[in-house]
Amino acid sequence: MKKTGWILTLFLLSGCSLRVLDPASPYADKITRLIYLSFGIMMLVFVVVMILFVHFLKKFHETSDRVDEIPVDESGNRKLEITWTVLPVLLLVILAVPTVTTTYQLTSGASQGEGGQDKERVIIHVKAEQFRWEFTYEGGEVSYDKLVLPLDKEVELRLTSEDVIHSFWAPNLAGKIDVFPDKETRLVFTANKLGDFQGKCAEFCGSHHALMRFETTVMEASAYETWLQDQ
Amino acid sequence: MRLPIIGYVLSDVIVSWIITLIIGGFLLWWLTAKRKWPLILDYIGTTDNRKIGTMYILFAILFFIRGGMDAMFIRTQLAVPDNDFWVFQADKYNEVFTTHGTVMIFFVAMPLLIGLMNIAVPLQLGANDLAFPYLNAISFWLFVSGAFIFNMAFFFNAAPNAGWTAYAPLSNDTFTSGPNNNYYIFGLQISGLGTIFTAINMIVTIARLRAPGMKLSRMPLFPWATLVTSSLILVAFPVLTVALLLLMFDRFYGTSFFGGEFGSPVYWQHLFWIFGHPEVYILVLPAFGIFSDIISTFSRKRIYGYTSMVISITLIGLLGFMVWAHHMFTVGLGALANSVFAITTMLIAVPTGIKVFNWLFTMRKGVVRMTTPMLFALGFIPTFVIGGVTGVMLAVAAADYQYHDSYFVVAHFHYTMIGGTILGAFAGIYYWYPKMTGKMLNEKLGKWHFWLFIIGFHLTFLPQHFAGLNGMPRRVFTYTWEDGVFLFNFVSTIGAYLMGISMLFVLWNLFKTHRSGTSSVDGDPWDGRTLEWTTDSPAPEHPFPNVPVVDRLDAYWYAKVNQTNLPQTKDVRPDPISIRTFQPILLAGVLMVMSIGFIYHWMWLQILGGGSVLAFFLIRSWTDERNEAYRKGEKS
Ligand code: HEM
Ligand SMILES: [Cu+2]
Ligand SMILES: [Cu+2]
Repeated sequence: MKKTGWILTLFLLSGCSLRVLDPASPYADKITRLIYLSFGIMMLVFVVVMILFVHFLKKFHETSDRVDEIPVDESGNRKLEITWTVLPVLLLVILAVPTVTTTYQLTSGASQGEGGQDKERVIIHVKAEQFRWEFTYEGGEVSYDKLVLPLDKEVELRLTSEDVIHSFWAPNLAGKIDVFPDKETRLVFTANKLGDFQGKCAEFCGSHHALMRFETTVMEASAYETWLQDQ
Repeated sequence: MRLPIIGYVLSDVIVSWIITLIIGGFLLWWLTAKRKWPLILDYIGTTDNRKIGTMYILFAILFFIRGGMDAMFIRTQLAVPDNDFWVFQADKYNEVFTTHGTVMIFFVAMPLLIGLMNIAVPLQLGANDLAFPYLNAISFWLFVSGAFIFNMAFFFNAAPNAGWTAYAPLSNDTFTSGPNNNYYIFGLQISGLGTIFTAINMIVTIARLRAPGMKLSRMPLFPWATLVTSSLILVAFPVLTVALLLLMFDRFYGTSFFGGEFGSPVYWQHLFWIFGHPEVYILVLPAFGIFSDIISTFSRKRIYGYTSMVISITLIGLLGFMVWAHHMFTVGLGALANSVFAITTMLIAVPTGIKVFNWLFTMRKGVVRMTTPMLFALGFIPTFVIGGVTGVMLAVAAADYQYHDSYFVVAHFHYTMIGGTILGAFAGIYYWYPKMTGKMLNEKLGKWHFWLFIIGFHLTFLPQHFAGLNGMPRRVFTYTWEDGVFLFNFVSTIGAYLMGISMLFVLWNLFKTHRSGTSSVDGDPWDGRTLEWTTDSPAPEHPFPNVPVVDRLDAYWYAKVNQTNLPQTKDVRPDPISIRTFQPILLAGVLMVMSIGFIYHWMWLQILGGGSVLAFFLIRSWTDERNEAYRKGEKS
């Protein structure tokens, strides 16, 4: 269990630089908080189990003077058993409430393709095919394997596939959304940090799935406009 | 290299041909020189549960070596960024992880558990065999047949390559033409049939053949877990059968269940996971049962909270059917569906938690003996709890948008499947080895195996959580320096080699145990509590000439404590009839022929194989092995 401790320290040290835990949008930020919450609750459970585990082993392992000992018979204990049924339920309720609310917030109607026409949103069409990404912007500009987004503007991706199922994943910016050949899926988020972020295909899609990557660049709105004009 | 018929072949296939020929030749020579053929024929024709169980485990170990080598290739290729190890990039890599996953689940984990059930369940019940010994032999040979079909693919340079989940439309003939994924379909179809028969067999055995006085509420927990698992199999496997059949029609006859105008690739995902999620409980529940028995034996205490243990496994089994869509959170099923499945998934943590605490409290105030089986059981508890808590984290639907299909998931399911099923199978093998062979495995080597394996395991899989959080998707054959996952992967590879090395201790142990005049052990080497320890080691074909009468849980233990003997019944009841027959292996053979006909679209072979299978059914309908027994009965 020493290893666990070691790697956990490593985790705490580098936690903020792991992409999933380094959000660049309110969307990803919500998930990050949820991850920390669930991790905290679960560590509590793990630590309790480990304390009991180590304690019982230390105290009750066979020693040379206990070789012939026959322990007292006991079949169980109602109260204790109720305790470890009810407490986990409580912990799960604490976790379930934000789970459901966040899931509702992030899984907006948009991801099912029924979002209304919101004037404020930047709409970008994403076409996935083995093994590249094609991004079409509102003025018909096209870029491949490179997605450019304006800072602090809500964007709506409308994704379709030319062949098999792919999955759009830019961990700093948002969770995954699968891309299907027979239906359109949507993803809505607002980038709030400038910079370049990695993106990857996250659904196995054939020979070069590993190479089906894209880069996302978040620019100031004005730089975004000039970039579009250069396309 | 280009060859006639087979086409373009890479060097890995050629190397394995050569190695297989050498090892195969050596084996043939050895079997002949040592005059082992009669023994082999005896096992091929047997319907005895102990022998069939032993064969299940032997074949599982064989396939474990195969799946393990796949794992080593995966880990070697991923050891450093931008790696080019041997041939394992792109398509080859995809084949390797597909065969690794499929082999490990269907041809390692399943047969290990079914093998242990075969050996231990009848003995624990006080039964002389399974209810249907002949059907049991059929199940076993169907498993072997399916496994051979699946593993053959690689040798003909056509290994399946759409992942063990075979998602459409990638698994359709449009995107993966060629025989590769046909092998997947037929391998699973035929071995799955065998699994369904085993489930029926186990359920009937448990329902009908318990010793007098052994009410369900006095039954040890391994048979209980077997009962629940078998019921899950009975519901879940037919769903897989249907899904594979539809996929086959899409691939072979141009139907469009999983594509086209009316079909949808999402249908496949639903069908697959309606099978697939119960499947992971099918794999872990028997391991829970094994651990319950072992922890109780080596704490010298009865299991804590027996009733809630039974209720928990039943609940886990039921809930297991209501969570499949947690594998599909990113499909866009909508917020309502995602929330509902998130909550049902979290609920499963409750009965699982109850079990963990009951195991812990079984040890409290007991005398905990650190034998090899117990070590594996103890290693299981923290390992599985880690796998369980990451499971709850994955159930948080919104957060799963990040975890999904990343290395976080790879880490999670290895924590549960290796931490649960594989540790459980190892524990069970060390524990029941005396019942299988009459010998004890060496404890010292066993402990070496345990420690290397568990350390290697955590080294391999703990870092993968962080690789996933840093954006590494699963099923990728390479990554770059900028990805920042090098260290995680490098440690992971070292750990994998350590696990590989630990398995050498198992081989050494087997070799040492069987080498020379190591003496046999008596019937009860562990000071056990349940009925299997009242029989000889190894268990004879007819272990209970007089069936013991049971009046409580762990009756044998309390009889020992009170220094009495278990009473025996004078009432003999009809026993399952064991015979010597080569029909099961023949049936498996003709099914394999038929499958190959389909895999390569050779119509004549399909007809030949299909016709033979029908003929076999006719022959079987007219044979009744009970006739002979009746005749004997009349004479006496
Ligand atoms: C012996 C040590 C093992 C190692 C080092 C290992 C390693 C791996 C790795 C690295 C992957 C991910 C491949 C990828 O996504 O590209 C993988 C996938 C997988 N492993 Fe293991 N594994 C081991 C044992 C097992 C066992 C015992 C089981 C099951 C009982 C198992 C079941 C699976 C499954 C189902 C997959 C998914 C395959 C797929 O994506 O289609 N593995 N393994
Ligand atoms: Cu992909
Ligand atoms: Cu599941």
